[in-house]
Amino acid sequence: MKRRTFIKLSIAAGSAAAIGLSCKGKRRVKGSVKGASSSIGHLLREQILGEPVSFIKKEVVIVGSGISGLSAARQLHRKGLKDFLMLELEEYAGGNAASGHNEISSFPLGAHYVPIPNPGLQDYLDFLKEEDVITSFDGNGLPVYNEAYLCFDPEERLFINGHWQDGLVPSFGVPETDLKQIAGFLSKMQQFRLEKGSDGKDAFAIPVNNSSTDIQYRKLDEITMKQWMEINGFTSTYLQWYVNYCTRDDFGTCYHECSAWAGIHYFAGRKGVASNATYSDVLTWPEGNGFLVSKLEKAVQQNILTGSLVIGVELKEEKVVVKYLDVAKKEVRAVIAEHCILCVPQFVAARLLKDKNRVEIIKQKFRYTPWMVVNIVTPTLEERSGEVMSWDNVIYNSQSLGYVNATHQLLQQQVPRKNLTYYLPLTSKDPSSARKEASEITHDEWVQLLINDLKIVHPDIEDKMEEVNITLWGHAMAQPLPGMIHGGLRNQLSESIAGKIHFAHTDLAGISIFEEGFYQGINAANKIINYAASV
Amino acid sequence: MRAKEHSAEWVLLLAVLVIATCGLIYELVAGTLASYLLGDSVMQFSTIIGVYLFSMGVGSFLSKYLSGNLLHWFIRIELLVGAVGGFSAAILFLVFPLAASFQVILYSLVGLTGILVGLEIPLLMRILEHKVEFKELVSRVFTFDYIGALLASLIFPLILVPRLGLIRTSLFFGILNIGVGFYLLYFFSAELKKAGLLRVTAVVLLLLELVAFVLSENILRYSETMAYNDQIVYAKSSTYQRIVLTRNKREMRLFLNGNLQFSSADEYRYHEALVHPALSSIDNPKRVLVLGGGDGLAVRELLRYASVEKITLVDLDPEMTRLFRSQSILLKLNGNSLLNPKVKVINSDAFIWLRNNTETFDAVVVDFPDPSGFSIGKLYSTLFYNYLKPALKENGVAVIQSTSPYVAPNSFWCVDETLKSVGFFTKPYHNYVPSFGEWGYIIAVRKNKESWFQHLPSSLRYLNATTLQQMFVFPDDMKAKIKLQPNKLNNQALVHYFEEEWGKFLD
Ligand SMILES: Cc1cc2nc3c(=O)[nH]c(=O)nc-3n(C[C@H](O)[C@H](O)[C@H](O)COP(=O)(O)OP(=O)(O)OC[C@H]3O[C@@H](n4cnc5c(N)ncnc54)[C@H](O)[C@@H]3O)c2cc1C
Repeated sequence: MKRRTFIKLSIAAGSAAAIGLSCKGKRRVKGSVKGASSSIGHLLREQILGEPVSFIKKEVVIVGSGISGLSAARQLHRKGLKDFLMLELEEYAGGNAASGHNEISSFPLGAHYVPIPNPGLQDYLDFLKEEDVITSFDGNGLPVYNEAYLCFDPEERLFINGHWQDGLVPSFGVPETDLKQIAGFLSKMQQFRLEKGSDGKDAFAIPVNNSSTDIQYRKLDEITMKQWMEINGFTSTYLQWYVNYCTRDDFGTCYHECSAWAGIHYFAGRKGVASNATYSDVLTWPEGNGFLVSKLEKAVQQNILTGSLVIGVELKEEKVVVKYLDVAKKEVRAVIAEHCILCVPQFVAARLLKDKNRVEIIKQKFRYTPWMVVNIVTPTLEERSGEVMSWDNVIYNSQSLGYVNATHQLLQQQVPRKNLTYYLPLTSKDPSSARKEASEITHDEWVQLLINDLKIVHPDIEDKMEEVNITLWGHAMAQPLPGMIHGGLRNQLSESIAGKIHFAHTDLAGISIFEEGFYQGINAANKIINYAASV
Repeated sequence: MRAKEHSAEWVLLLAVLVIATCGLIYELVAGTLASYLLGDSVMQFSTIIGVYLFSMGVGSFLSKYLSGNLLHWFIRIELLVGAVGGFSAAILFLVFPLAASFQVILYSLVGLTGILVGLEIPLLMRILEHKVEFKELVSRVFTFDYIGALLASLIFPLILVPRLGLIRTSLFFGILNIGVGFYLLYFFSAELKKAGLLRVTAVVLLLLELVAFVLSENILRYSETMAYNDQIVYAKSSTYQRIVLTRNKREMRLFLNGNLQFSSADEYRYHEALVHPALSSIDNPKRVLVLGGGDGLAVRELLRYASVEKITLVDLDPEMTRLFRSQSILLKLNGNSLLNPKVKVINSDAFIWLRNNTETFDAVVVDFPDPSGFSIGKLYSTLFYNYLKPALKENGVAVIQSTSPYVAPNSFWCVDETLKSVGFFTKPYHNYVPSFGEWGYIIAVRKNKESWFQHLPSSLRYLNATTLQQMFVFPDDMKAKIKLQPNKLNNQALVHYFEEEWGKFLD
């Protein structure tokens, strides 16, 4: 019953009826549904696990091997601190930036691109240079990006008014008045992009914590993006769709819930300069940010222990005791360390610390959107009129964010079969009900949902698709609700405990993007390195 | 009873007429097909007529070994002719890519039809020998035989080929043959015992040919036949592209995905211009790389340089290189170049191959199709040329086919701009190739050269010292009209220029 209601809410009522009719007698599409090991994660809540069977000693334990954890590990390693262990519950590192592969190509399971880095992010630029993403610096000191990694043309297309237009900003068949509003909005955003606050800092920076705290910007964090748009007369439905698409895309948050500061940051945060690219260009790989994961992971691979669910972190006699479950052997083990970095989402961190107060605060203030990511294997599909298949393919007014073609960045001429990665943030109801309902939907029902969305643009998708693999991210990202960026809670939660337990995760950064994770990790690692130096 | 005898005779004589017509039609179909596919129509027609007539003789000779129920035999042969002849054109089209064995199959089919037709007249005469007076018999049978021949020779060129095409013509007469057999089965049912199997065979064959006939019409409707003015002699969709060869009286043309790659009438102009300005500027070129160019025509030109020791040809499509390594008429065109022991053919994606390549070459000939889409546009990008650079020796010379500077000046000069942006020194040039129009090429070197074109081979048909000099002069109408972007993977500038310019041209 619940499944039915969910589907009905997720899609227009008409097409929901179509699902009911068409579920029977259809061919079964190969594939599976995988959650980010939610069943293992739930062990955490139950706490019926015994006492540790073994103890080892390490200088540092890192919990979680997402971008934040990997970046922390890399930083420790670079600074010569090599006695550390990274514990990860999944069988592979990467977290939200993990990737998969098949005989056609690699493909992302979550995060899939980064924009051209903002200037001044020296550690980040150094990292990209080391990994040949930046091949050199030109005469003006501007980075030259590896052309195999800059997103190839054609980059984006939008299916609107029965036609694929170039780019995602609605224009095809859009009335003049709306076009004017859209232009006005974009020029306002361009203005924000260049503005600096009274403290001399960029109004909107990456990482977010480098942004100006000038009150005129800070107060944008008190209202929603939708409110801000209405106050400023941006009422065009085409424009509102576009902005809502953007906030859902980057933050998994609808524009009527998203902080206006975060919403504007989406347009105004990027300031990258380059010899052969501009701030609006992006870097991408068939495996998405899995590429960056493999580079971060390179030097620290031997320190990563996968299949290890951390179940408790406590301070004992000046040491940090980290208990974890060896998932394969079902045995609890413990590591005794000088320091620990918690590179996990805050709702997990609070539970690990068994800090009731912290658990409560997070329950009240943090909301995590569930996401569904689908990898589709398909031969060439029938196309509607307009632009040819691009890297990012978006459908106007769809529940989904469209799909990215993972084979777009391949150099070869012929790619007869493709991996398409389809993104659907489950934002139509409150996160916890959406999460629960999503976990009950069968593979066949997800497939039908997908078909109903994509057959508008690829009428033959149902017959053509060969495999559909679904990844459910139950707590994909924390929402930047009003107050989250400048409310002070993030700073409070980022405070190290007793100088021993440190935090690094994108949900502490306010917005969930690669650069934030990268710097969260570096900053936490630096705290330990500085501490070691001061002792 | 007498009346029945009488009409039986006429039925059989009419059968002779049909058989004679059909037989000649099959022969004409084979002759026409062979001259389409293999060229040299005088040769093809005379050998096919020769083989056909000879096989008829063989058939007549063999007829004496047939005994028992002659009518039974007659119908059996009738059905066989219908099957073999009816499907002959379709079979020949299908097996043409089988290359060397094509001729064997062609002459086997012609021979078989000849033998079967040759069997029929003597058989018929034996069937009728006790029913009609001998002089009457001979006169009637042969009259009908020759009337049939006349009929065939008139309707074939006037009605059949233009209306039905070759495949359907032969199927149509196959159906007629079988129809006659079927009718005879019915007419002589009293005299034919145990003809059940024969009847079933007839029905099955009839159905098969009818289906093939209808389908061939269907296929025809969707096929590119309409798009080409000339007869298609070969068409195949490989994994990578649609390869179509057409021919008319003068020339043979190769199309890849509908785009003309060359015409046999003037391809030498293109390939001489593509290869010799670069190669003649290298002292003792030894190792040469060809990217694209699976037709082996550029390789043919390269083999004129005695110093060349090894040519590596990288072409995506194994079907292309196989075709040009095995089809006699294409081998004639490329002078067996791809079979030369100096030539190594690699079927691989050029971009990926070049990225992984560590070998260096004295010369590189880049002969890709025009940048008409985002996929092929990658092969003209800064990244591609960056990979090309280390494959070229310090003193080496590369040349790139770069579309028409007359139709698409922005596209042409964009390629030049792109090459320069990655540090090549360039020398753009052009010549006139009638089937393409004014065509452009760009020489690229890693460091500037002083002496050029020192070693031009003699006995070229188009290039000499004078024509060579002229190629480097660009009149104003072949110059770019705007400031051009280099073509990069993330802007595909060239594809945008190309679409605009050629789009306008073809409107
Ligand atoms: C669908 C999706 C698409 C995205 N797209 C982009 C994009 O295109 N570009 C971009 O910049 N960002 C994108 N993001 C944001 C992405 O979340 C961040 O860029 C970044 O990858 C987050 O890294 P993290 O380390 O902070 O968190 P996580 O990736 O959440 O890492 C946490 C890690 O901790 C592990 N863990 C959790 N609990 C435990 C435990 N008890 N014991 C042991 N290990 C545990 C998890 O398995 C995980 O590996 C996307 C996110 C999602 C969900």
